[in-house]
Amino acid sequence: MLERQNHPDIIYEDNDVAIAIRDFSTIAGQITVFPKQHHTILEMVPDELVQKCFILANKVSMAIFEGLGAQGTNLLIQNGLGAGQKIPHFAIEVIPRREGDGLKLQWDPKQLSPDEMDTAYLLIKEEADKLVDIGKKKKEDKKEEPKPEVKKEEGLKVTKAEGKENYLLKSMRRLP
Amino acid sequence: MSDMTEEQRKQLEEKIKKMSPEELQEFQKQQCIFCQIIAGKIPSKKVYSDDKCIAVMDINPATKGHVLLLPKEHYSIMPQVPDKEIGHLLMVSKYLSQIVLKTLKVSGTNVFVANGGIAGQRAQHFMLHLIPRKEGDKVLDVEDKLVDANIRAKVKDLVEPKLNALLGVKKEKQVTLPETTVELPETTEKVGGKKEQVLEEEEIEESEVEIPPKKEKLKTYGKKKKEKESKDVVKVKGVKEKKVTVGKEKIVELDDIASLFK
Repeated sequence: MLERQNHPDIIYEDNDVAIAIRDFSTIAGQITVFPKQHHTILEMVPDELVQKCFILANKVSMAIFEGLGAQGTNLLIQNGLGAGQKIPHFAIEVIPRREGDGLKLQWDPKQLSPDEMDTAYLLIKEEADKLVDIGKKKKEDKKEEPKPEVKKEEGLKVTKAEGKENYLLKSMRRLP
Repeated sequence: MSDMTEEQRKQLEEKIKKMSPEELQEFQKQQCIFCQIIAGKIPSKKVYSDDKCIAVMDINPATKGHVLLLPKEHYSIMPQVPDKEIGHLLMVSKYLSQIVLKTLKVSGTNVFVANGGIAGQRAQHFMLHLIPRKEGDKVLDVEDKLVDANIRAKVKDLVEPKLNALLGVKKEKQVTLPETTVELPETTEKVGGKKEQVLEEEEIEESEVEIPPKKEKLKTYGKKKKEKESKDVVKVKGVKEKKVTVGKEKIVELDDIASLFK
């Protein structure tokens, strides 16, 4: 990202994540949390890093409540050009809010026909059903791994084949 | 609720007054629409659910395909949510965002959290909005302005010590988090050095010398609405007081925010 080491606007950094005060922002005091590793959009960020970023964003939000005396905060991820993303690096924006700040971070509910609602619902539902359980999916991955070790007694060839298969499966899962 | 007689209403009010905090929380849960949706008492278009969270279609969508992601446990504001669940929520929204991009053929998504009534939070239940976006749809369209370097420096002075205090306590816990694959070793020393700096800054801030710049800063906020200025200055005093008394004050503050929705 553009903002790098020793930048005066960086307020926190560790091995994976940096937190900085935005120079171009919707309101003074907006703070951005971003992974150091370059990822353009949310979908490309590894699970663990996503979790860490959001946990830190929550902490930043709390710090804004206390430090700036904000009455509310907005967390916003602009994911993709259509969503207003300006820098091609995934980031979570934490925006301090107070009464009468003039920000319009809201929307007017759109009137959709029941048909439109249903198609959107069914399309998403169909794909989401494939996810089953994101937490469990990880456990399944772990379960698959120890299998080859157990079969070692039967013969090395089998384990090699299985190992390769697992590797391929894993890389398949990583594909966006 | 509307077909309650006046007597019943009075009885209910008295009941609420007598409740212990725990009971009151339970009562809030019962009143929360989203908790009822999660419990299945109110029909919804559920797209995903696991042991921690549930995703439903928004009935008043910003755009077609607007999804709400709710923790199953009742939290009214974000600071109440435990770290693990916070992380899990964004991870799930990552997968859902991927699906939305693919199926609805949109050019982007917004993940949005409103924390506090002023920030646009409408329900008492903490949630993440996942909003499919197309160019020119004018949803959550924000204009960016250049923020003056002086203001940024002041923001840094105010927020950094608080953030470090929050992270300092929790740093040990964060070590237990699963580490990501890529590590940049050169920064480890710097973090340690920074901490010391921050401690010094904190000491300075509690002295009275720091007050004038704060006022200045808030005045620049006030430029937009001059009427607000006087109010803001009062707030500065409030903030200052809170800084001196740490610990218990913090918790009260969070509860205050939560009470805004009651």
